[in-house]
Amino acid sequence: MTLPHRHDINLAIRAIRASKGRSFLTVLGIVIGIVAVVSIVDISQGVKQQVSGQINELGKNLITIRPGQLLDKNGAGIVTGLNLLSPFGNVSTLTQGDVQTVSSTYGVKDSVPLTTVSGQITVDGQPSASALVIGAGDQLPAALNQSIAYGSFFDSTNDTTNVAVIGQQAALSLFDEDIPLGHQFSFHGQQFIVLGIFNQFDTAPLSLNANFNQAIFIPYQVSEQITNNAAPIDEILVKPNNLKQVDTVAAALNKNLLNSHGGQQDFSVLKQNQSLAVTSSVLNSLTVLISVIAGISLLVGGVGIMNVTLVSVTDRTREIGIRKAIGATNRQILDQFVIEAMVMSITGGIIGVIFSLIVDYVLRVTTSLEPVITWQIIVIATGVSLLVGIVFGALPAFQAARKDPIDALRYE
Amino acid sequence: MPIIELRDVSKLYGFGDATTVALDEVNLSIEEGEFIAVMGPSGSGKSTLMNIIGLLDRPTHGNYLLNGRSVDRLRPRRRAKARRDTIGFVFQSFNLLPRLTVLENVALPLAYKGVSLNKRLKMAERILERVGMQEREYYYPKQLSSGQTQSAAIARALVNNPKIIIADEPTGNLDSAASRLVMELFAEIHRTGTTVLLVTHNPELTRYATRVVYMHDGDIISDEHTDLGEVAKTARKVMYTIPTTSEEDDLAGVSALMHAVPGPREHARPKTKKHKKSSRKNSHARAKKRVKV
Repeated sequence: MTLPHRHDINLAIRAIRASKGRSFLTVLGIVIGIVAVVSIVDISQGVKQQVSGQINELGKNLITIRPGQLLDKNGAGIVTGLNLLSPFGNVSTLTQGDVQTVSSTYGVKDSVPLTTVSGQITVDGQPSASALVIGAGDQLPAALNQSIAYGSFFDSTNDTTNVAVIGQQAALSLFDEDIPLGHQFSFHGQQFIVLGIFNQFDTAPLSLNANFNQAIFIPYQVSEQITNNAAPIDEILVKPNNLKQVDTVAAALNKNLLNSHGGQQDFSVLKQNQSLAVTSSVLNSLTVLISVIAGISLLVGGVGIMNVTLVSVTDRTREIGIRKAIGATNRQILDQFVIEAMVMSITGGIIGVIFSLIVDYVLRVTTSLEPVITWQIIVIATGVSLLVGIVFGALPAFQAARKDPIDALRYE
Repeated sequence: MPIIELRDVSKLYGFGDATTVALDEVNLSIEEGEFIAVMGPSGSGKSTLMNIIGLLDRPTHGNYLLNGRSVDRLRPRRRAKARRDTIGFVFQSFNLLPRLTVLENVALPLAYKGVSLNKRLKMAERILERVGMQEREYYYPKQLSSGQTQSAAIARALVNNPKIIIADEPTGNLDSAASRLVMELFAEIHRTGTTVLLVTHNPELTRYATRVVYMHDGDIISDEHTDLGEVAKTARKVMYTIPTTSEEDDLAGVSALMHAVPGPREHARPKTKKHKKSSRKNSHARAKKRVKV
């Protein structure tokens, strides 16, 4: 198809305006489809940026060891990467022995095992809302670059006693206080004393430490003791002595753990950029999934275009006959109707992009989401709407082009 | 060389027992510059003949030579181009596009030819001036009187400078003053050497023609050359019928024609049926013959 002349587009706009109500609803269908797709992509882009920003904050030199095979040899594994969403599961291939192996590996400065302990927390004899209890090594604040707001974190002097450091939201929900230092709660039949309160962990959707504000941290040794060594190790955070050694330390860790696991790669040693890759791949597949759903609404919009063009072709059968009688070729008739469908769909596309800008702004102002709109998505959205017009306008336009001139002229 | 030559052209509709013969082996040869009035009752095949000559329709059998070249096997695209470049249509119901201005309507055939916007508007202006419509360029068709609308339609038919103008009852919806205006336009077009085919029910209008063709039941039953300004002899005999397209009056017109037209159809009614039957048989026989060949 040759590029339509401005005059042709003008005529198409006049034809569309001739049936305002019908055209408006059709354009609306495309607008909804485009807004849905663009907003979802923007939101997921925003989330991705937030998460990756956070991982960078944690420090580039952090090595994470996780149970299971998160990454395949080629890069990010999408399905296994879903482990990230429920990292505190119950099955773990990491053992206490691994914690020893890790801490004794050459070049490791800090190693922090993290384990979840299930159980009911009771405050003053009252069972409390379930809170996340995490057994953690005493270098956790250093590994996460996280500061303590009040009190202190447990260290080698008290990491075998029943103490706890809690997140800010946990403080509120358990004790109804901002600074419940020295308060007590019971867990697994033992009394724990609140030793410190964390500063707010940066929250971001779908990120690990989003939950940490609601978590209660108890010493790792204590968690092993109260669960009879049954608490699964969800993660071991490792900080090497030297930033430059991240790669060699990670390799050494992998080698040592592989030895102790009898050569079975049922764990993952992740550097920060790798966990970013996993997070991204999870987000990407989620984005694709939701975009496909949103794309269906665009498809429905396209069907709307098809329907309206079909009605328009029937309505204007006589016009088609006249045009053919004065010398229009089938192709010229086809082009006319395709251009009309395209004008409608691209109008919907442009309005849709404008509306999604508004939606993004409203989301930024009212929620913690920070949608990111890029020129790529604007171009793609407009292009897709144009494509929808061509594809869904083509079928009725073909019908128009194939009409017999005599029958069309006689049509009333 | 005739500009239009029809050889044994038939047009059949339907199948089997329901077959209707719209044109029955019509032979017609038209020289360039002729003004032909085609007369006959409704359903006599006038419009079918015009549609075939105008390349809107294809004959079931027979050959059609336009400008000496057979157009039977032309692809739709070539047919559209031939319609655009050599034929101009004028309809009874005007058939201007309501959403376009008069100027745009007239320029439309040029648009299909690929003439640039400015140039085609200029050409359309010139043609509108020729038909006396230059002051109505920016009107929409519904704002015009019926005579003006038909003038605009004639301008549209002329804008590509066609060799043939086909007008199917162009005065059917006009009062007598507007009819005269429109017919004067056709006369003027004829004077410039354009071939004009005019379908009409009005014997008076044969004054403009150089040749009058009568059709009945898909046959040409009379073909008469006349002088300009004279009502055709055969037409004079049916002049007492009121020229119209309404069915009731047409019936009157038919019977008048039956008696008026000399030749093989003096006892028209019974013979017509017989003739129809035999022609159908003939065409079947022809069809079979063709298959064998």
